[in-house]
Amino acid sequence: MIKVAHSDFSYDYFNTEDSPRLIIDLSQAEEEMREIRNIVIDPGHGGLEVGAKGKFGALEKDITLPISLKLKAIIERNLALRVFLTRDKDTNISLDNRVAIANNNKADLFISIHANSSFRKNATGSETFFLSMDATDEEARRLAYLENSSAALEDRIEGENEDEIKMILWDMAQAAYLQQSSQLAEFIQRELNLLLSTHNRGIKQAPFRVLTGVACPAVLVEVAFLSNPVEEKELLTERFQSRVAQAIYRGLLNFIKLYGQE
Amino acid sequence: MISNRLAILGALLILLAVLIIIFIRMGGKGKTEQEPLSLPPEISQSSDEQQEKRKVVLFYLSEKDALLHPEVREIYAYTSVVQEAKQTLEELLKESQSGYLSPIPPQTKLREIFLTRKGVAYVDFSKDFQVGHPSGSTAEILTIYSIVNSLAYNFKSIKKVFILIEGVEKETLGGHVNLNKPFLPQYSLIAR
Ligand SMILES: [Zn+2]
Repeated sequence: MIKVAHSDFSYDYFNTEDSPRLIIDLSQAEEEMREIRNIVIDPGHGGLEVGAKGKFGALEKDITLPISLKLKAIIERNLALRVFLTRDKDTNISLDNRVAIANNNKADLFISIHANSSFRKNATGSETFFLSMDATDEEARRLAYLENSSAALEDRIEGENEDEIKMILWDMAQAAYLQQSSQLAEFIQRELNLLLSTHNRGIKQAPFRVLTGVACPAVLVEVAFLSNPVEEKELLTERFQSRVAQAIYRGLLNFIKLYGQE
Repeated sequence: MISNRLAILGALLILLAVLIIIFIRMGGKGKTEQEPLSLPPEISQSSDEQQEKRKVVLFYLSEKDALLHPEVREIYAYTSVVQEAKQTLEELLKESQSGYLSPIPPQTKLREIFLTRKGVAYVDFSKDFQVGHPSGSTAEILTIYSIVNSLAYNFKSIKKVFILIEGVEKETLGGHVNLNKPFLPQYSLIAR
């Protein structure tokens, strides 16, 4: 382990597999961030709920966890933020409980990590999703007025959060954060494109259950396709997993620079 | 007393047998020819030529892209919207005739369709729909919208689709897309 005893710098390091080389990446430490304090990372699936399966036997749940752990480590190494995982081992956690963990820990950012699967074998690439909602949806309309001032929503959560154990689970909390979520998705996708050599599938919207109730900017990252044999092998390598974590971290950082201050 | 009861039981059995025979005969007739008279006029598909069949567009997957590809199929017309919708989904459960991929696991059966007055179609599939599904966000999205689009595109009275499995509401198909809400069609997913 390395310790860099200088608060003006942040660092990251990579081991290269092919040649005996250690790359240490030093950069200017980030300015203080007032708004964003807590990040919740959600490793997709777990326990009996294995997620997608690859041809060679790789399980989605076993890929999302190491990527999430790596991402947590990078964030904690570089930023003064609290990072929570919805699971840190191979356990079953319901989607609603993941949302509750995020909201109970006052998540300021929520990132759900997944590996994709398709009916066609040659589907490849990475994509980042944020929640889609029906424009005609009554519930969405009910919350739409909050889009302009998410402060109103935060106040209400503050009020309800007096009891720490109380689970906050809002049916449509994400409605107030769609704009910021799309921005976060864009930043993360851009870095995935730069750091991975995967095909860019862009940012997309879908009605994902795990995003619906989260009361902060939230995205779901589909790293690559387990249903594609080439990408399945990639997904299993530590190098690829580290790059994914690094890319997501950089995307987060750009988002924090834009929204986290003032 | 006992003989009285036996007589009543016998009468009931005869009645049941008669009912079964009527039911079978009607069922057989219904399969070979349509009965326009028995249908409410406002929900039957009217046409000047009184044709027996109508065209519907089904949405399948392609090996080439992540979009939904239309395929035209014929179903019996002049039945209720629910019956036409049922035929449409039963066609979608069959293999594509133009070499597209099916978005629905092979063993899946359609159990029932209900249509509410507000235009929400409740579509109930057998458990194979979930068990045989590859999971994965992309697969879930395409499965769901091939069904939703195949219904909403062909039937004006179907505005939204709610998916059930074995008669029960499920959270998701494989851990991603929320099934606790009805879906609007997504025509942006259709290939052009
Ligand atoms: Zn997943």
